Amino acid sequence: MPGDPLPLVPWAGTRQSATEFKSDQEVRWCPGCGDYAVLAAVQGFLPELGLARENIVFVSGIGCSSRFPYYMNTYGMHSIHGRAPAIATGLATSRTDLSVWVVTGDGDALSIGGNHLIHALRRNVNLKILLFNNRIYGLTKGQYSPTSETGKITRSTPMGSLETPFNPASLAIGAEATFIARTLDSDRHHLVDVLRQAAVHQGTALVEIYQNCNIFNDGAFAVLKDKRSAQEAVIRLEHGKPIRFGHAGGKGVIRDTATGRLRVVPVTAGNEADVLVHDAHETDPGTAFALSRLADPHTLHHTPIGVLRQVERPDYDTQMAGQLDAAVERDGKGDLAALLAGTDTWTVKE
Amino acid sequence: MPEPAGAARHTKPTRRLHQVVIRFAGDSGDGMQLTGDRFTSQTAAFGNDLSTLPNFPAEIRAPAGTLPGVSSFQLHFADHDILTPGDAPDVLVAMNPAALKANLPDVPAGADIIVDSDEFTPRALQKVGYATSPLDSGALDRFNAHAVPLTALTTEALKDFALSRKEADRCKNMFALGLLSWMYHRPTTGTETFLKRKFAARPHLADANIAALRAGWNFGETTETFAASYDVPPATSAFPPGTYRNISGNLALSYGLIAAGRRADLPVYLGSYPITPASDILHELSRHKNFGVRAFQAEDEIAAIGAALGAAFGGSLAVTTTSGPGMALKSETVGLAVSLELPLLIIDIQRGGPSTGLPTKTEQADLLQAMYGRNGEAPVPVVAPRTPADCFDTVIEAARIALTYRTPVFLLSDGYLAHGSEPWKIPDPDELPDLRQQFAVRPNHTTDDGTEVFWPYKRHPDTLARPWAVPGTPGLEHRIGGIEKQDGTGHISYDPGNHDHMVRVRQAKIDGIGVPDLLVDDPTDDADLLVLGWGSSYGPITAAVRRLRGEGERVAQAHLRHLNPRPRNLGTVLARYRRVLVPEMNLGQLSALLRATYLKDVTAHTQVTGMPFSAERLATTLREALHAR
Amino acid sequence: MTYVIAQPCIDVKDKACIEECPVDCIYEGPRKMYIQPDECVDCGACEPVCPVEAVFYQDDLPADWADYLGVERDFFATVGAPGGASSQPPLETDHPAVAGEPQRTASS
Repeated sequence: MPGDPLPLVPWAGTRQSATEFKSDQEVRWCPGCGDYAVLAAVQGFLPELGLARENIVFVSGIGCSSRFPYYMNTYGMHSIHGRAPAIATGLATSRTDLSVWVVTGDGDALSIGGNHLIHALRRNVNLKILLFNNRIYGLTKGQYSPTSETGKITRSTPMGSLETPFNPASLAIGAEATFIARTLDSDRHHLVDVLRQAAVHQGTALVEIYQNCNIFNDGAFAVLKDKRSAQEAVIRLEHGKPIRFGHAGGKGVIRDTATGRLRVVPVTAGNEADVLVHDAHETDPGTAFALSRLADPHTLHHTPIGVLRQVERPDYDTQMAGQLDAAVERDGKGDLAALLAGTDTWTVKE
Repeated sequence: MPEPAGAARHTKPTRRLHQVVIRFAGDSGDGMQLTGDRFTSQTAAFGNDLSTLPNFPAEIRAPAGTLPGVSSFQLHFADHDILTPGDAPDVLVAMNPAALKANLPDVPAGADIIVDSDEFTPRALQKVGYATSPLDSGALDRFNAHAVPLTALTTEALKDFALSRKEADRCKNMFALGLLSWMYHRPTTGTETFLKRKFAARPHLADANIAALRAGWNFGETTETFAASYDVPPATSAFPPGTYRNISGNLALSYGLIAAGRRADLPVYLGSYPITPASDILHELSRHKNFGVRAFQAEDEIAAIGAALGAAFGGSLAVTTTSGPGMALKSETVGLAVSLELPLLIIDIQRGGPSTGLPTKTEQADLLQAMYGRNGEAPVPVVAPRTPADCFDTVIEAARIALTYRTPVFLLSDGYLAHGSEPWKIPDPDELPDLRQQFAVRPNHTTDDGTEVFWPYKRHPDTLARPWAVPGTPGLEHRIGGIEKQDGTGHISYDPGNHDHMVRVRQAKIDGIGVPDLLVDDPTDDADLLVLGWGSSYGPITAAVRRLRGEGERVAQAHLRHLNPRPRNLGTVLARYRRVLVPEMNLGQLSALLRATYLKDVTAHTQVTGMPFSAERLATTLREALHAR
Repeated sequence: MTYVIAQPCIDVKDKACIEECPVDCIYEGPRKMYIQPDECVDCGACEPVCPVEAVFYQDDLPADWADYLGVERDFFATVGAPGGASSQPPLETDHPAVAGEPQRTASS
């Protein structure tokens, strides 16, 4: 295969179809849930990836999105709340021939399982983490989540949430993630484009998917989805391209030379050359961090989507396997009898 | 008997002894564990039977010279088969006043006490509350005390080496080892080899330590402080023919895991988070990557078992190691493993609890946690080793159960077994149990319309184990999870009747595990009293029972390795004895299980001091039980 | 798999379904609404809101309207997958089968 980005995962011998990736289980999300769109996109894009279906595993925790593995005709595990990254780490580090995907939500990944998420990212295990962020707890019926906005009125915060939300992309950068992207459930083309890049990334890829919960937090991302408002609200990042958006690309992101901050400005002939060119591969995380939090947290205006950061760093599982090989190279394949005997022995004769 | 090169032969009178208990005690930084380890190794090489008990503080380096900083190592060796590290030392080596004060209450009158008199300075005495030096106050009159200026003698012996004062000071444990080696005719060539290897990068330190060792030996031979030396002949009759080594419980466990992986033809995957007293296993397995062992240090206890479970799904022999507090954190994932029906070993090196409790001390109080510490009906097999060397066989048995029945299995060791050591007859790897398993490779069910499908919960008719189909196997793609599933298909099911069925099937699978019958040692076959134990209390119980039998008493003894499920004949055995005494290092957890299951009025004998039972005190308890009306 | 809009929609076009569709895959023809089957994600949000019960999961189509699955597939075979209805003007022609249906009057 061209490029062979996942050299250890076997390829499917034949052309696959989306239907092959659909399990026989009836999908049971609420009608209108954004999860349907993500499921359809994943089922539609995996055949194109061309990996052997039996070498793909979906692991999830608990929450609405964590039902995902049941609907994929691959290997899968629906585990317990927050622990999917840990379980997937064990699987991926013991089996470098697998393509391991984690499906999680904002509560699962950032609240009860926050510790596992940050450590998976820092280790750079070969995991593709799809974080369905709907900024609410769905399965437990509508409590605020760690990404809910301050002041959010929910069943557990009738007078408004007192908490400052996490910005998952910023958090991931702080956790030394090597691949961080943000996309929208309803933008199939963009979603698939991001998934395609995540799938072939060596190491942990975190894809934050803004996902609509039409029951408990309907319209949370409406401003990014409505065609009229999206033009001004969404900044589509493309590596190597100037960061411009709005009608006819009339707005752009520049770095304020006095403060170092990123600013959104109308693009003019005078400042066009100053518009920041997106470099996802920049090893210094500073600009990616600034971009991850460029949006106004209340209005979501100026939300960058796309691949914020994609840098090369050796992945944990390949290196772990490498140490095993190196040990055999250095000491020979383990000799059990010699190990058990050790160096200090004595013999008792008849 | 080999003697160190350059040392004179024994010229003083030699007295023959059958057994000796020595305790080395000093500051955490004095190297007492190393000294004890070396003396043990020399003793093992000499052919005595032996048993050891290290005892060290939870603090890594408590302030020097204080009571909390005292670390000790006790060794019992004999010319016959022994079972415990000994109740009381015949010889105490105390490297400072704190070590003397902390250990003196355990020392019987008439015992030898060797102290480093150089360390009995006013400041050191004051630190531990001695108003006057016990060397002068008459406090040691009832002992056979030897005040030896160990520090000065070591420094003097090393004056030709270019060592700093501190470096020379740190060799005094080798001086003490040399002296004790002289006293008990221990061969020291092994220690010299060891020192050369340990200090290979700094040969002058190897030379200095060896010089200190030899100086200690020569001091014994020449000083007038010691009138005689002692000879404890090899325990030739105690050991069947074979090649032996000394081994600690945690090392035996580590080797058992590697051996189980080999015999199962599966890669070993350890997910672990450091915790006392289990961390040694993580360290040991991390060293054997050339056996294909993956040792993963996780971010927490939950991730450690999670990673292990993920590896089990992928077809590894998966293990997590921990102690009580970590067990508590892992509970939810153990429940998931029960529901997924995947093989997983959960090794709990028990320590004093509750909560952080006594991290470096021993206890057997996690039995009920292992049995019941989960939500829902979540049966898990439980096994427990009885001696340090038995950890090897028991972990292989745990692997057999996990792999055969596709279930998590608890192994309950404890701090006493973990760090204690004994001679071990090295097994032939080819004679270990064959643990090979067959992964599922093809569909296992034909539907009504004739389609061949894979059912992840279609069970083996005998074992009730479900098939183990690992990712990468074409055509067997399936999804499993913690939600209740339909038996057979594995599909999510909230059906009341199916749940009732699944709860009962999971229980029946565990209840049906093949377990050997309990063997009862009842030499006269007419004993009135059965002493039944489990885990690490085997040594003290057996020693106590022997004492009683030596007095002509009739006592039966049995020891449980399988705590869940228990041997099929246990009920019959219990019914056969009028009285059953169960010594446990908890408040009666096995006793409660036995009473509940077999309606037998067993008597619990409990101790939760953080220390193993003393054989002598246990013998007294048994004597009282025998003669109670 | 997809949802399908059948005969009852013709000349009604209430469009409540458009408000519910999370992926914007319901396109407007001159006489009927059409679901793009490749863009539909099977979420079922459109079905319960239709006032004339014109929306069906493909496997649940009544026998009388079973043709409508083919109608929508054929229709988009020429239109393609525009990737979102709201950015498109309404389509200019109906599928011939729809165009051939008798005109529904207000009273019927």
